[in-house]
Amino acid sequence: MKKNRNSLTIMCDTVHALMMREIKTRFGANRLGYFWAIAEPVAGVSVMALMFTLIGRSSVANIPVALFILTALLPFKLFTKLMTQLTSAVNANKALLAYRQVSAIDPVITRIIIELATYLIVYCLIFSFLAWLGFNVLPDDLLKVLAASVLVALLATGLGLMLCTANSYWKDVNKLVGMITLPMMIMSGVMFSATMIPPQYWYLVDWNPIFHATELSRAAYFSSYVTPLGSWFYLAMNALVIFSLGLTSFYVNRLRFITA
Amino acid sequence: MIHFENLNKYYATKKGRFYVFKDVNISLPTDRNIAVLGPNGVGKSTLIRMMGGADMPNRGRIHSKKKISWPLGLQGGLQGSLSARENVRFVARIHGYKNTKVIEQQVEDFAEIGQFFDEPVKNYSSGMRSRITFGLTMGFDFDFDVLLIDELGAVGDANFRKKSEKLLLEKYEKTKLIMVNHSMPALKKFCDAGLLIHQQNLVFFEKLDDAIKEYQDIYVR
Repeated sequence: MKKNRNSLTIMCDTVHALMMREIKTRFGANRLGYFWAIAEPVAGVSVMALMFTLIGRSSVANIPVALFILTALLPFKLFTKLMTQLTSAVNANKALLAYRQVSAIDPVITRIIIELATYLIVYCLIFSFLAWLGFNVLPDDLLKVLAASVLVALLATGLGLMLCTANSYWKDVNKLVGMITLPMMIMSGVMFSATMIPPQYWYLVDWNPIFHATELSRAAYFSSYVTPLGSWFYLAMNALVIFSLGLTSFYVNRLRFITA
Repeated sequence: MIHFENLNKYYATKKGRFYVFKDVNISLPTDRNIAVLGPNGVGKSTLIRMMGGADMPNRGRIHSKKKISWPLGLQGGLQGSLSARENVRFVARIHGYKNTKVIEQQVEDFAEIGQFFDEPVKNYSSGMRSRITFGLTMGFDFDFDVLLIDELGAVGDANFRKKSEKLLLEKYEKTKLIMVNHSMPALKKFCDAGLLIHQQNLVFFEKLDDAIKEYQDIYVR
């Protein structure tokens, strides 16, 4: 047995072990797993791009439809995927908490890393493919695109931590999360932008931080698109507050995960 | 020594809190092999799991400078969706091993469950599970000071029992046991001291025979 590992080394070893275990069950069960991780968002966007083409639109706000949807769909996917994955993070690894090296936060950290890595890979692959098809895929402001994604990730992590805590009290939380993701998709501006709806109806979506994120993500990607609604301040405040609340609820209940 | 300080443990039931341990203050020696005695539902497994870090007391704490194993029992410790090999890899990794091949091989050899070693653990019989759980600790060239064993031998066949007993006795000098088992002969074979759970408290006996006598006086009618 290895001696005198400090706490950080133990945590890294544990996260590494959990990561190997997660990758194995998620992708390795059948070889198609890796394929689906990429095929699912690609299929989603193809269907939507096709829909828009069929109703006669080939371009939205001078942006090609595929890019218009992708720049919003990908951050939205990151949000829902990360949130649902974190909701069940602890429960899915319950048996492994029997080892004292594994604490409740370790599976959460593991899943955050996996989701972010998957997101980056999918993002790059899809845009390389579009570039190969002849689209101009270089973002006008790369840093802002990244910033929007980071804020979405913070938001999703905060909500995921809260839901994970709630999940330890009430097992049906998973179903609830599944129920809200579809309406969220409509309200998050994946298929439309703020300029496409009349200002008197903005109140329907302007409370939604994810809507701000998709707007800002588009505006960062295409300088030709100026968002009338998206606010960095609103998104960042939401992300920070929800992330802090998530961490707090998780920390307060950290022993519950092991005992309950 | 394993120190218990003001240990409180209860389970929330529909009719209020059910206390398993109330204000336990005791220090257990780690140079003895201790048998934990008590009837069903009195908290033996809870005690083992708390000492192994798989469960937490509601109040108070357990601390020790010694290396204590994780609780070796039938429940917990193995992830059902993974195969035994993957479980072994996981345990090796969280203990800081980078190369897990050697350990995998050792556990596989010890467990002798053939092709099931690469099948999901959820499809195992309880005997096969106990072989893996036991093989896991043995696969490591471990240097635990205390090994926590919760009725692990109970489901094994004669062959496996002989093998695991032999291994335990080999490690006898260095590694001490804290053991739950309802078979008195098994306890007598391995343990020389006793720990009785009585009235939500722990009572330690230097001699196992005294503990068994007390256990029978209190609980056996």
